[in-house]
Amino acid sequence: MKRSVIVTAIALAATIPLAVNAADDEPVLPPYVPAYEPQSVDERGMWMMADEQEKLMALSELRIDDEELNAYVERVLCDTVGKDRCTGVRVHILNIPAFNATMSPNGAMTVWSGLLLRVRSEAQLAAVLGHEFAHFEMRHSLKGFEQRRSASDAWSWLAVLGGIAQVNTGDAQVSLVGSIFQFNRGQETEADLLGLKYLAQSPYPSRAASEVWQQLMEEADATDFGRKLKRRESYRAGFFDTHPTSLSRADYLLDQALAYNDSGDPRDDEHYAAIKKHLPKFLSDQVKLNDFNGTEYILSGIAGTTGWTGELLHARAELFAARGNPRDLITSTTLYLQAMEAGYRPPETLRGLGLSLVKSGKRSEGAKYLEDYLAAAPEAPDAAIIKMYVPK
Amino acid sequence: MFRRLISHLLVLSAALALPFAAAAQEKTGSKDGFTLQQGSVRIALLEPRIIVGEQSTGGLFEPNADWTAQARENLERELTNALGGVGNEVVRLNLNVTPEADSLRRYNYLFGAVAGSVVEYQFFPGNRLPTKKQEKSFEWSVGPGLRDVAALEGFDYVLMIRTKDAYGSTGRKALQIVGLLAGVGVTSGEHVGMAGLVDVKTGDLVWLNADLQMGGDPRTPEGAAKRVSQLLEGFPGMEPGKP
Repeated sequence: MKRSVIVTAIALAATIPLAVNAADDEPVLPPYVPAYEPQSVDERGMWMMADEQEKLMALSELRIDDEELNAYVERVLCDTVGKDRCTGVRVHILNIPAFNATMSPNGAMTVWSGLLLRVRSEAQLAAVLGHEFAHFEMRHSLKGFEQRRSASDAWSWLAVLGGIAQVNTGDAQVSLVGSIFQFNRGQETEADLLGLKYLAQSPYPSRAASEVWQQLMEEADATDFGRKLKRRESYRAGFFDTHPTSLSRADYLLDQALAYNDSGDPRDDEHYAAIKKHLPKFLSDQVKLNDFNGTEYILSGIAGTTGWTGELLHARAELFAARGNPRDLITSTTLYLQAMEAGYRPPETLRGLGLSLVKSGKRSEGAKYLEDYLAAAPEAPDAAIIKMYVPK
Repeated sequence: MFRRLISHLLVLSAALALPFAAAAQEKTGSKDGFTLQQGSVRIALLEPRIIVGEQSTGGLFEPNADWTAQARENLERELTNALGGVGNEVVRLNLNVTPEADSLRRYNYLFGAVAGSVVEYQFFPGNRLPTKKQEKSFEWSVGPGLRDVAALEGFDYVLMIRTKDAYGSTGRKALQIVGLLAGVGVTSGEHVGMAGLVDVKTGDLVWLNADLQMGGDPRTPEGAAKRVSQLLEGFPGMEPGKP
C-alpha cells in the first residue's frame, strides 16, 4: 500500500524533532485554498451526501441552538486556524455527553457537549478544533474513502479468486482489513500534528494539545478504578483501533510542543464563563452516565479552575445521591446545603436535598424542602410522585 | 471520530454480504378498507429523496452528484406528468418556501424509516413480525402529529417518495461474472424505490409501494418515466395501465 507507506513516513517524520531536539521549530502551515469546491466525481458525491447530512443535523433534537455558544466555539476556531481558513467551516454543537467532535468533508463540524465539559481552557478546546480542521484541510474523508474502497475491492477479488483457486487467502484478507485501520490511525496522527501547528501559531500555547490526552487517560483510569476493572489504557494501538492510543498522542504532541517552544494564555476562566449557562445541563447529563469516579475526576478538574461553585456542589451532591448508600445520603445532604449556601438553589437542589433527607429517615424535614420544590416547579413532570412524600 | 469506525463496520458488512440474493417478496400494501374517491381529495407531494451513485467492486456506495442531479430533474418532471392523471389534485410542496419545513423534513425521514420497516418486517414473508402475520393487517403510522403541521392544512394525504440507485461499477460486474464461475453469488447494483401515502389526520400509512429491485434508469428521461410508473403502480384511484 503506497499510501500507508507515506503515512508511516509522516508518522516517522513526526518523531524527528525528538531525535534532533531542535529548539524553536517554526510551524509552517500548508497552502490554503479559500472557498474550496469539490473536484473529482468521488469528492463531489461525498459533498452532496455531506450537505444532505448537514441539513438533517440542523433539524436534530440533539443540536444546542444557542447563538452565543456557537459564536464562542467559532471564535476559538478562528483564533486557532486563522480568519481566512475558519470561514469554510460551520460549527454544530450537539448535546451528547461524550468526548468527541467530528468533521465532514464539506466543512460541517460537530462539537459534542461532553467535549465542552471536559476541556479546561480555550486552548484545549482549540487543540481539538484544530485537529478536526486539519482533517478537513487535508481532505481526509475523501482519502479515507478511497483507501477503504481499494482495500475492499482487493478483498472481494481475493475472496472470489481464492475460492476458485482453492487457496487460503485468510492472511491476505486480514492484512487488508488491518490496512484500513492502520490508514485511519495514520490520518489521526497527521491531523494531530497539523492541528498542533495551528495551535503553535495561535495565541494559545501548543502544550494544551498534550494536556487533553493526559486528562482523558486520567479520567479513563478513574472510571476503570471505580468500576473495579483492569486499566484499559494501552501503550500500543491494537489491530482494530481507529486512533492512536491516548498515551502515544500525549507523548508525541508534548515532544512537538516542546520543539515549537511557544507560549500563550490558555484562557481557562474565559472557557468556563462561555459555557456557564449550559454547565448545569452538561453536568446533569454527565452524572446520569453512572460513572462515579470518572465524574468525580471531571468535577474536581473544573473546580481546580473555578473553585467549588454552587453548580459543581449540586452536581457532586446528585452523584452521591444517585449512588445512594446510607453514607452517600449524608454526603449529598451536606453538599446540597453547601450548594444553596453558595447561592445556587434551583428547584432541583430543593428536590435533591428533600429526597436525601427523606431517605435518611428525616421525613418531616425533607418534606419541607419537597414542598418548596413543588411550589417552585408545580408543573414538573415528577410532581405527582414527589407529592407522595409530602404529608397532607 | 466514531463516524469513521461505523463506516469501517459498513465496509466489513458490505463485503461480507457478498453471497446475497434478494428473495421474491411483496411490494405493495394498503390499509384494510382504504379507498380513495376520485376528485375528492387533495394530496401534498413532499420533496422526493433521490440519490444515485455507483457500487464499487467491494460493495461500497459511491454517491455521484451529477447522476443525482439528472435523476432529480427527470423524476420530478415525470412525477408531475404522471400525477396529473391520478384524478385528484396533487400539489408539490416546495420545502424551501414552506413554513414548518423542518417539521415536514423530519416526517419525510420518519416515513423512510417506517417504510423500511414495512419492507423488512411485513413484505418479506420470512421475517414477518408476529403482529404482522395476519393476511389483511397493514397497520403502520408516522404518528398523529402530522395534522398539527399548518402547512398541510387543507390536504387530506401526503405523498412521500424515496429512491436510491447504486449502479454496479465495471469492477463489480466483473466480480459478479467471475463469482458465477466460483459459485459465489455476487449481486451488482441496488435500485430501491418507495412511494407511500400518509393520512394527514391520523398519520397512518394507507398505501405503500416499495421495491428493492426497481426498473428504469432515472438518469435518462425514458428510464425516469418507467421508474415513475413503477413507483406509482397500484396508486389508489389511478386507472390501471396509466400512466
